[in-house]
This record gives sequence, C-alpha cells and structure tokens, in this order.
Amino acid sequence: MRRLYSSLVDGRGFDLCLIGIPLAFLIVLSGIPLIYNVVMSFQAVDMFSLGSFIRPWVGFENYRQLIAQPEFWPIMGHTATFLAASIAGQFLLGFALALFFWTNFPGASWLRGLFLVSWVMPGLVVGAVWNWLLSGDFGVFNFVLRELHVISGNVFWRSDPNFALWSVIIANIWLGTSFNMILLSVGLSSIPADLYEAAELDGAGALTRFWTITLPMMRSTIGALISLGLIFTLQQFDLFAAITSGGPNNASNVAQYWAWDLSFKQYDFAKGAAISVIMIAVVMVASVYYVRSTRHEVRG
Amino acid sequence: MTKQIEFSGVNKHYGAYHALKDIDLSIDKGSFVALVGPSGCGKSTLLRSLAGLEKITGGDISIAGEVVTTLPPRKRDVAMVFQSYALYPHMTVEENLTYSLRVHGVARAERKQAAAEVAATTGLADLLHRYPRELSGGQRQRVAMSRAIIRNPKAFLFDEPLSNLDAALRVHMRKEIRALHDRLGATSVYVTHDQIEAMTMADHVVVLRAGVIEQQGRPLDLYDKPANKFVAGFIGSPAMNFLPATVTEGGSVAIDIGNGPLSLAIAVAAPAGARVLVGIRPEHLTLTAPGEGRFDASIAFTESTGSTTFVTTATTPELMVVETGRRMVASGDRVGLSFGDASIHVFDAATERRL
Repeated sequence: MRRLYSSLVDGRGFDLCLIGIPLAFLIVLSGIPLIYNVVMSFQAVDMFSLGSFIRPWVGFENYRQLIAQPEFWPIMGHTATFLAASIAGQFLLGFALALFFWTNFPGASWLRGLFLVSWVMPGLVVGAVWNWLLSGDFGVFNFVLRELHVISGNVFWRSDPNFALWSVIIANIWLGTSFNMILLSVGLSSIPADLYEAAELDGAGALTRFWTITLPMMRSTIGALISLGLIFTLQQFDLFAAITSGGPNNASNVAQYWAWDLSFKQYDFAKGAAISVIMIAVVMVASVYYVRSTRHEVRG
Repeated sequence: MTKQIEFSGVNKHYGAYHALKDIDLSIDKGSFVALVGPSGCGKSTLLRSLAGLEKITGGDISIAGEVVTTLPPRKRDVAMVFQSYALYPHMTVEENLTYSLRVHGVARAERKQAAAEVAATTGLADLLHRYPRELSGGQRQRVAMSRAIIRNPKAFLFDEPLSNLDAALRVHMRKEIRALHDRLGATSVYVTHDQIEAMTMADHVVVLRAGVIEQQGRPLDLYDKPANKFVAGFIGSPAMNFLPATVTEGGSVAIDIGNGPLSLAIAVAAPAGARVLVGIRPEHLTLTAPGEGRFDASIAFTESTGSTTFVTTATTPELMVVETGRRMVASGDRVGLSFGDASIHVFDAATERRL
C-alpha cells in the first residue's frame, strides 16, 4: 500500500498518471467520437437505430451512394476551390503584411496587434458583417468596385451562383489573413539579422536576399502554416452558415457544410459520417505534413 | 605605401548619442589594423560604417581611392567575418562559400572549383557537404573566413571573430588568421576588445574610447609610450599600477601609499606642486629585501600560476607585482620594491595626458 502510494506521488505511477489523464481525455472526447463516426459511415443508420451502436453493416454502400449523388463532384470541386483560394489569399496577404510590418516603422508592433481583431471575431459575426459589405443593392464592396470601374452593374455576391462561393472565400481570407501574418512575423523575426548583413556584403540585393535567405529560412514556418491553413479552412463552417447556407442550389456548398446538412437537416447520418471520414483522411495527410515541417526546423 | 582605407572626419550619431567623433584614420594597403577598446567605445560601429552596414552622419570613407560613403554594402567589395559567423544555416559549406559567386552569376562549375581551391587551403576540403550545424566552433570560424577569402575583396573586416572560441583555439586561430593575412597580402581591419589579440596580431593598433581615437601606432610603441592614462591602463596585462603623486622641488615626487608621504627621486617635466599620476607596469616592479628597494610595502596576497607569481601589496592604492618564477613570499611579509627609472610613466592628474 505504501509502495503504491509512493509510486503514485514520486515514481513510475506518477509518470503514468501524467500520461494517463490527458490520454483518457483524448480517448473519451476525440478518439471514441472519431471511431464512432468511422464505424457509422459503414452502417445503415436511420432515426430509429440512432441510439444503438450495433447496426446493420453495409460496407462501402454509403460511400457508393454518396459519390453517385449528382451534387457530389461539384461540392468536392467547390471544396477544393475554397481550400486553394482561401489558403493562397490568406498566405499571400499575410506574408505581404508580415513583410510590411517587418520594416519596423514607429507603431508597427501596435498596428500589427490591431490586425488580430479580425481573427478573434466569431465566424458568425464576421459572416454578418460581410453580409452587409457584400450586399447586392447597397453593399460597400459593390460601391468600391463600381467607383474603381471594375464592375458596371451591381453584383449580387451571395445569390449569384457564379459569385456565392467567392463571397465566402473573400470573408474567409479576411478572417484568416491576420493569423497567417502573425505566424509569418514570428518566423521572420527568428531569422538572425546578421545573415542579411552577411548576404548584403556578399553582394545580394533585396530581392536576391528574399529568395535565397528569407524563403528558405521560412520553409518550416510556411509548411506548418499551409497545413494549419488546410485544417482550419476545412473546419470553416460558420461563414457558410452565415453568408450563403451553401446556396444557391449548392453553388457554394462545400464538404464540411454538406456533412452537417446531410446529418442534421436531412437526417442521413450515415452519408454525413461518410463525408466526414473522407475529410478526416485529407486532414490526416495535412497533419502529418504539419508535424514533419515543425520537426525539421532549421535554425542556425 | 598606398592608402587602402581612409576615414576622414567620420561622425556617427544615434539620435542624441554621439557614437563616433571626428574619426581620422588611414590604413595602408596590406596592413593588419586592430581596432581595440572597451565595449561601447565605437570600434564595432566604425567597422560597420566601413562595411556600409551603418550610415555615417558626417565625414567620408574611401576604399582603394574611391569614396564609398553613400554606397550600399554590396557595392563596397569588402568581406566581413562576423562574431556569430553568420553562416547561412540552410546551405552546405560549399554553398556558403560560393554564395557571393552565385549572387554575381558565376557558373556552377567555376563556383565548385573556387570552393575546392579555398577549402584546400583552409582545411575544409572534407567538410564541403556538411551543414553549419554539423560543424564545431573552430570549423565554423574557418568557413566564415573562407567565405571572405573566396571573394578576393579589397579589405577583410573582422568583428571579434574569436570571442566565441575557447581559449586554446583562440590562441591557435590568432596565428592562423595572421598567417592567412600575410599569405593573401590582404588589408585587414580587426575589431577586438582583447588587447592581447590586438597586440599580437596587428601591425597597427588603434585604441578607441567613447568614440574617440585615444592613440594609434605600432603595438610596442603603445606599450612603451602610452599617450595617456587610458591607453596605459588598457594596453598590457595585468594593468599598469597608478600612484597619485605631487611634484616636489628638485625633480622628485611625493607619493602616499597609506603609511605617510614618501619621496621618490624621479625626473618629472612638471612644475613643483603639480598633481601627477606615476604609472609602473606590474612586470617592471621587482621584489627585494626590505630597505633595499625604492620603498617598502607589506604583501596582501599572492597568486601563483606556476610560472608566474602575482603579488598584491597592502597599500592604498594596491600595487600589483608580476614576478617570473616562484617567490616564497606570503601575505603579511614586508618587502622592498624596486624599479628602473626608464620604466616609469608620468601622467598629468587632471588631463591624464603623458608628461
């Protein structure tokens, strides 16, 4: 008894406790729901069997039906567009801003902090704000584009099938840019200044220094950021709910919104689970890449 | 001798802080010049101004006859070895060495050839494909120097390159850098806070304090004839002893080292009554039997390194004596202290200038 106690207070038992508690937490709150979801995607589920874990096994039937649905490939295409455009926009704008604030003019760090306001705002609030900005009749966005002579007539961003997805992308870029900027700023500031001095003395101009010093030194930060961006963007649900609800006619529907729509509006839990499993596979790949790039950090 | 580098009336202000004050300095082609001084004296600022990494706020700098004051660093054709080495961590040794060639558009085969040649002379031939993180401190130091050599620049600038190395390696690299300088016939400017590095490596030593050149000259001239108290105390290790004294009638001085006034017969070029500082280097003081030296003192403590004994006297101010070999003296012993007149330095107490 005493040995057990002393082991728990200061010994192997204590170590096991330290590992065991968070592990139990992860299993209960992440592992089991995840496995439950995967199992469910291979079962026939209806409103009556919702409460039981043992349900008729149907193999890949849910997946087959899902892929056979006419909206499947368009929605996957929208998801890919949403991912690529959001990540590219957030990253490029974030990098530009990070480089801008890196010049360290008076008030730079203060102003950089203010930029985080967009990131701490709830997605639904951001969605509501952008609903106003993107409004077809009286939106500021249209006004600016019209005054710049980019467009001649009003664009109905949220209800035009050609623009609905892009209205969510624009809002999402706005939402994620500052997070990208902060992480890239951290990456930039961790590059020793004397490397730039050495490169300058070696004859490198500003652009050469950017390509040969900044970008390679930022490789792990950029890798981590892109994979985090992939994960966050696949989690983006609020903006779709607030701005387009996936419409019109699925024109702005993406996998994560469709999964929710199938499960909780059409009560087709099995297909909703099947989509989630497909997304889990994608996120897994991103996570592996994320872990790898943070592990291979090059620091002099 | 042609002048390779010239500073004329160089000033540098950081806001209200005046870091360099009217620096005039010319450096001969092929010479090895050390800028030495305590931290914050402006020696690094002066070097960085020469490299173009700091913009000077007044005066002109020229390199090989060309005024470079407004040129950016990359157009000055000087190479710098940084204290941190500043090796590019994401590049192999070979890529580090050839970075400047690559930036200037030299073909890959030619770059490889140049790297191989330099690496062979600096002992890096086996390390060309390693990354900086896989190298020891001394090897990184060699890479940093090779990176400078490969460019064949108009001047080599060293910013405290040895301060990250351990003592034994430092002594070794001192010789290696100097040998390299001689072999290349280069012009080198070397910043250090370590006066031993300055004395042993340089042809010409420039002592700076608070942005002003206190004295410059050949190393032994600085040791033998320091222009003021600061240089006298800075050059030489352990530091020179200073005794406050008053000039008396008949060309001698009165000193007080804690137990009453004491008259020393020293020729001083100052009127009677003038307050002066008498400087004696620890290695120029010798211990004698009591009463047989110029004056007597008690010993406070002794430190021995085996080959040398450092003796500190129980006087105010304390005096340091360096004796070669082992002296069987202990704290509390009464001894006589002797010195030759030629080894005395006298400074004005107010201006601290040499008299």
